[in-house]
Amino acid sequence: MSTSDDRTPPAEPDATAAPSVPAPPPADPSPPTTRPPVTVPPTSSSPAHGGIVARGVRRSFGAVHAVAGVDLDVRPGAVTALVGPNGSGKTTLLLVLAGLLVPDAGTVSVAGHDPTAGPAARAVTGWMPDSFGTWDSLTAREVLTTVGAAYRLTPEHAEHRAAELLDLVHLRELADSPAHVLSRGQKQRLGLARALVHDPQVLLLDEPASGLDPRSRVDLRELLRELAARGRTVLVSSHVLVELDEMADDAVFISQGRTVAAQEVAAVATQWRPWRLRTLDLDALVRWLEAAHVPWQPEPGAPPVGDFSPPDEVRPARPGGVVVQLDTEATAAALLRDAVGAGVPIASLAPASGALESAYLALEEERR
Amino acid sequence: MSTETQPSSVDPTGSAATSSGPRPHGSTWSVTWHGVRTVARLELRQRVRSTRWIVSLVVFGVLVGLVTTLTWAFTRSMGSDMIYGGMSGVVGPTMFGFIVFFVLFLGLLVSPTLSATAVNGDRNAGTLATLQITLLSATEIVLGKLLASWVASLAFLAVSLPFIAWAFLAGGNNPAAVVVTVLLLAALLAVVCGIGLGFSALTTRTAGSAVLTYVSVASLTVLSLVVFGLSVPLVSGDEEVRVYEADWSSAPDADPETGWGDDPECEWTERTQYVVHTERTWWLLAINPFVVVADAAPPAVNDDNRFVVFDPLAAIREGVRTARQGPPAEYDYCWQEMSSDEQAGITAFDTHDGPPVWPWGLAANLLLGAGGVLLAIRRLQIPYRNLPKGTRVA
Repeated sequence: MSTSDDRTPPAEPDATAAPSVPAPPPADPSPPTTRPPVTVPPTSSSPAHGGIVARGVRRSFGAVHAVAGVDLDVRPGAVTALVGPNGSGKTTLLLVLAGLLVPDAGTVSVAGHDPTAGPAARAVTGWMPDSFGTWDSLTAREVLTTVGAAYRLTPEHAEHRAAELLDLVHLRELADSPAHVLSRGQKQRLGLARALVHDPQVLLLDEPASGLDPRSRVDLRELLRELAARGRTVLVSSHVLVELDEMADDAVFISQGRTVAAQEVAAVATQWRPWRLRTLDLDALVRWLEAAHVPWQPEPGAPPVGDFSPPDEVRPARPGGVVVQLDTEATAAALLRDAVGAGVPIASLAPASGALESAYLALEEERR
Repeated sequence: MSTETQPSSVDPTGSAATSSGPRPHGSTWSVTWHGVRTVARLELRQRVRSTRWIVSLVVFGVLVGLVTTLTWAFTRSMGSDMIYGGMSGVVGPTMFGFIVFFVLFLGLLVSPTLSATAVNGDRNAGTLATLQITLLSATEIVLGKLLASWVASLAFLAVSLPFIAWAFLAGGNNPAAVVVTVLLLAALLAVVCGIGLGFSALTTRTAGSAVLTYVSVASLTVLSLVVFGLSVPLVSGDEEVRVYEADWSSAPDADPETGWGDDPECEWTERTQYVVHTERTWWLLAINPFVVVADAAPPAVNDDNRFVVFDPLAAIREGVRTARQGPPAEYDYCWQEMSSDEQAGITAFDTHDGPPVWPWGLAANLLLGAGGVLLAIRRLQIPYRNLPKGTRVA
């Protein structure tokens, strides 16, 4: 593992990606006293990839079981969302993955390295905590060059990398102002740049979008997509599910310190979930839905739809919307085609909530 | 879901390859100058740019200057009244001793503020963990912080150097004394920085570590002295001692013409007398930074090397070395057989000068400082196995 060398700029994204296998000891019977070696169960198709593998991770703080059994497979080249309510153990899990906390039990492998065993995993991991400070008297550029020096980059390389990253997070104008003049969102962007200084193989982001303006959120999304496209492993924790919807490929749901589900976001999209159907003529829509035997509910917060039984020519068409439960986008397309065919003036048909949100709420529902 | 509990030690073969070779960057005890310098530069940049630091340097300089001037004026007026030594003999050593102590005093006050918040302050500000997860080792972070706070303390020492030089130029001082004292002041400031770092890694709140550091400094300087004084009755008592003294009962009668008699012969007798065993408690004085400086400073010189000038550092040196030796095995009260010099008590200082005390004191202080540094390193080691109550990792 070449991580003890001074890191030079990787010419290609994959130059440092040498997937080092945390090889299970090759059937070596020499230590007879030890337990069977801890191996990563080959549950996924690629058991020992360059991403993150965690098995049975537990960590307590006194009586509080912050992480009580997390299994995690984060594949490289994808953005994985770590979803869970407040206090579900997301931050603690990320601290374990970042190499700051020893788990009480379980095994962790980050890009093939054990983060508890030494600095090898730290060398290829970028971590952005949920709350962090900046060295107030340093300029944004100095913050990045200092971190570069801490990662053993040469001064020239650190300087170059700092300029690159300041451009990337749109802080070039503020590059030479002290960090304490930065706004919260700007500090957040600087924190992201700091996590990227050493071009890490694995990126752990804890609530990265908090405090970001809409433009920066879009930038963040695009940046993470690009990093994933370049083969990096990206794990993003958040409880703002809408923003994860658009950037995540996979999702891991944890609750009360346990993994409760792990699925691909695309698969989540094929579950039953509410769709919002809006029309220019609510009465016509409701009549058609009743006739077609499509179950519907009024939009939350909308005034009661009223009595539709007598065909009312006097009353002018009024716009409105209803919520229908659909399972797939194909069903949605069919519904739309039929409604338009029947002459209902449809304005829009869209999922009422994000895919992750629906899945998350469904899980919450199951737990009750 | 595999929820079986396994000890956290993961397969020993996987990553052992990296630790068996030369220590990789970032493992707890690895140290590189690059890493230490990176941290020290970061710390100093953080400090130097806060204008308060410059202001406190100026205030420090003004204070030392003021005291130096006052001391100079005071010793000058005293010196002209003195019967021996004159100006050159008294002003210099007195001024030098006083200024050195004042600078040490202020340094002991300032150094804790520079180091006692270095770790927990960063932790509270949320900047510690982001440094720990880089390839800097815990040792490099701690040594970098030590270096930075020491360099900052040395800046205060540098500000007071002109005044120390002034005291030296007032005359009567040994040039070696200036070098030795400045070096010792620097070393003692490093000790205080190390102690402060240790406490700042130990406590969550910056106020707590600052208080603990000041309490340590006060214990070394004031409390130890008080305990030494209070413990004197505990180590003292009436004892049988051998005494060499004149036997007045056997003295010949006085000459009736002159009224003067011959001195009686001196002889050895046993008698009970109050004895103070400071050799059991001298170390309480030795650990005092002021004593370390005073004891190590080469004695003042004067023009004819004859008179013992008034030298506060020498007085302390004398006191502590005497305390270390404790009571003599036998007492010589036979003044009749002393030389005239001995009777005047002039050379007495040199006659029972014991071995130096400062190496012990300095070693004890350096150990304390090193202990603080080691403690800080241990507390910054990641990954954390247990977190102290009330601390957050990040």
